Amino acid sequence: MNAPLLAVENIVVKFGGFIALQAVTTEFRPGRVTSIIGPNGAGKSTFFNVLSGVITPSSGSIRFKGEDLKGTKQHDFVHRGIARSYQITNIFPDLSVHENVRVAAQAGRARYNIWTNRNRLTELDDRADAALDAVGLVAKRDETAKFLAHGQQRALEIAIALISNPEVLLLDEPTAGMGPEETKEMVALLEKLAAERTILLVEHKMKMILGLSDRILVLHHGQLIADGSPRDIQTDPEVRRVYLGQNDGYA
Amino acid sequence: MDTELILMQLFSGVALGAILVLTALGLSIIFGMLGVVNFAHGALFMVGAYAGLWVASLTGSFWWGLIVAPIMIGGFGMLIEYFLIRPLYGRSIDDPLLLTFGLSYVLVEGVRIVFGSDGIPFPTPSSLTGVVDLGVGFFPIYRIFVVGIVFLVVVLLWLGLEKTKFGLIVRAGARDPTMMKVLGIDISKVWLLVFGLGVGLASLGGVLSGPMRSVNPEMGALVLAEAFVVTVIGGLGSLVGSIVAGLLVGVVISMTALFAPEMATIVMFALMAVVLLIRPQGLFGKLA
Amino acid sequence: MTSPALAAPSHARAGKRAQFRSLVTRYRVPLSILALCLLPWLLPSKALAVNVLIYGVIAVGYNLLFGYTGLLSFGHAAFVGAGAYITGIAIGQFGVPWYLAVLLGVVGGALLAFIMGALSTRTRGIYFSMVTLALAQLVYYVALQASAWTGGENGLRGFTVSKIELLGFEINFLDPVNKYYVLMMFAALALWIVSRILNSPFGAAIEAIRENERRARTCGYDVERTKLLAFTLSGTICALGGTMSALHLAFVPLDSLHYLSSGMIVMMTLLGGASSFFGPFIGALVFLVMEDVFSLWTSHWQIIVGSVFVLFVLFLPKGIWGTFLTKVMR
Repeated sequence: MNAPLLAVENIVVKFGGFIALQAVTTEFRPGRVTSIIGPNGAGKSTFFNVLSGVITPSSGSIRFKGEDLKGTKQHDFVHRGIARSYQITNIFPDLSVHENVRVAAQAGRARYNIWTNRNRLTELDDRADAALDAVGLVAKRDETAKFLAHGQQRALEIAIALISNPEVLLLDEPTAGMGPEETKEMVALLEKLAAERTILLVEHKMKMILGLSDRILVLHHGQLIADGSPRDIQTDPEVRRVYLGQNDGYA
Repeated sequence: MDTELILMQLFSGVALGAILVLTALGLSIIFGMLGVVNFAHGALFMVGAYAGLWVASLTGSFWWGLIVAPIMIGGFGMLIEYFLIRPLYGRSIDDPLLLTFGLSYVLVEGVRIVFGSDGIPFPTPSSLTGVVDLGVGFFPIYRIFVVGIVFLVVVLLWLGLEKTKFGLIVRAGARDPTMMKVLGIDISKVWLLVFGLGVGLASLGGVLSGPMRSVNPEMGALVLAEAFVVTVIGGLGSLVGSIVAGLLVGVVISMTALFAPEMATIVMFALMAVVLLIRPQGLFGKLA
Repeated sequence: MTSPALAAPSHARAGKRAQFRSLVTRYRVPLSILALCLLPWLLPSKALAVNVLIYGVIAVGYNLLFGYTGLLSFGHAAFVGAGAYITGIAIGQFGVPWYLAVLLGVVGGALLAFIMGALSTRTRGIYFSMVTLALAQLVYYVALQASAWTGGENGLRGFTVSKIELLGFEINFLDPVNKYYVLMMFAALALWIVSRILNSPFGAAIEAIRENERRARTCGYDVERTKLLAFTLSGTICALGGTMSALHLAFVPLDSLHYLSSGMIVMMTLLGGASSFFGPFIGALVFLVMEDVFSLWTSHWQIIVGSVFVLFVLFLPKGIWGTFLTKVMR
């Protein structure tokens, strides 16, 4: 087994008196799909926000490739190699599809360049097109993002996250609001992406998770209550009790 | 510098601060409930002062002006909310701000047309002129009266917000407007009343400040800037913040006036800059 | 801005309009210079034309922040005024040559914009507008008190530039036509710079922040720093407008620092259309022509201008040019 890529230790997040995460410790090794599940309010989104720098935990540490991320600003997470998408579609609605991805691409080096014509930076264009190709949106490149179908907007969001070529990709419910057909396409895309990078997934659709994940973490009331292969999780009595027992977990 | 003079100036600062508290409270209540920063707040303060003057000269009594003008201008505020600001809900948060700014232009010019461009003296009511010896020094009766009135208004406001059903709705509605819909409360009526209340507070401030500074169409500009400084220091949307910061700014202004009069106005902006550096969300503001 | 993204150009006319849009965008700088060359001969007076030029530059610079970055500043009068005062003081009190005075004014305005931007971009949302207004009022009161330098309430006088040497030629700067075309070179420079900024990667970054600040941050943008740079650039262009106004009037009124002057810039920008390159300039033109026309028959022209502005916010928030582009040209 190789060294952990991302490791968290004793992460605690408090909002006022409410404890959203209590002492979560785990690590993620490269090249796998790990899903994080749990009932609503279990702390999944908070956990993602910690991993992507949106929230600074009240205590505990995050290490990425052995380096402590303490004090790293949110915008630097992506430069380090951790990118994410959001649960609610989060794109630049009035920019074209291609501009959406290109503006993300230039965040690396060209972000304070106020003088070069950006249409001459063909390397950025090529990278943007490659990312659009990866998510199957090349045909839509010149359309205004807000006019895309829901599933395509979700795919665009993933293209935006992919452009920095992140080692870790955090995807918060990439299939939220999708029908069966769109979900199938998204799953195919995720499988393709998983071949090249480490993916962490928050999802509700159990069938999809069980088929896609190498490993599943279960959060409940801000605590990590189970960690294992899909098979382990399915048979874990504690998980069955607090989570799978509520039948609505199955999509 | 003797202590008596310092005490007198301190008190004068409290009186100035009391007016600031009124204006900032109005601004803050409107923002807290509607999410609108009213850029016409200073202009409405000025219109309030003129309305007070007008009613007082019609009736021959300052007291009628003090009571009727805020109600009148508060009602006018409701019309503004209903016809001009309501169509903007759901649009950019900048739009109500831009609209009220344009409105302040119209109000200032309107007052110039009706009352002329020159300042008008606002006589102190005869029953409140003179000074009173409080043992530690002589204090102008009118300023004591202003502090008393503002104290009364703040207490009434506090009771209204804490003890009445309307207050409960206002406090809850500010936190979660959709919740109000679920409970079947007509939030738009609350908005109307809150906007009227905020504008009424500003115009009460206008009437009260009339005898302390002369009344002119441009007076609203400084008032708006002062109200912004106070709300930024106190924390936008925080009523306690408005009160504390209002008094603080008033005292700081008049103490500075004692030692370096030319710095009096400048120092309040500097105070705001310092607060921004240390605590951008304001003393009592919550982090976004 | 660069690639007009049309959802479905279903028929030929839509295609032609798209073509028109992209042509106008590509040649926006030469087109505006052409329009500026003709302007003094289309307006009733040369003085009005010079004013349009100056406020056009100011509004275009302001729009870099308001229209493109999405930050509603009510403090830009401070940079206009700083540019004007510094130029006036440099010429009147230190005898600095005019071109150096212009440079000093621009650099001074930029510095002030950087300081004010550093403070105000720490705040979010609606706070930003209030804080910029308050900080600019601080500058106003400082100028009021520092009357030894600024002339206080009476404004700054005594720095008339009557002759300008340019490339070996001596130009009579008191002649309105000469004055217009000299100042027009500055305006052309400003428009070219703003156009380049908008076409640059940074131009895309500020638009991204306007569109979706959270996403921009997640993409790896340092949102605060980007806003600060936009604020400073915008203030710098406004300071250039201020120095132009100082050269033109040979006078700096104290009111040029007041927040109502900031508000006037906001009004112009919105009247013309904040979401477009030409909008602010058109807004400045319309505003100043309105002022020119209405002030002929009433001294209370501001009530008309204010009402027109309120109606625009209610019914035409995209402004004249912005509405033309979206309603007619689509």
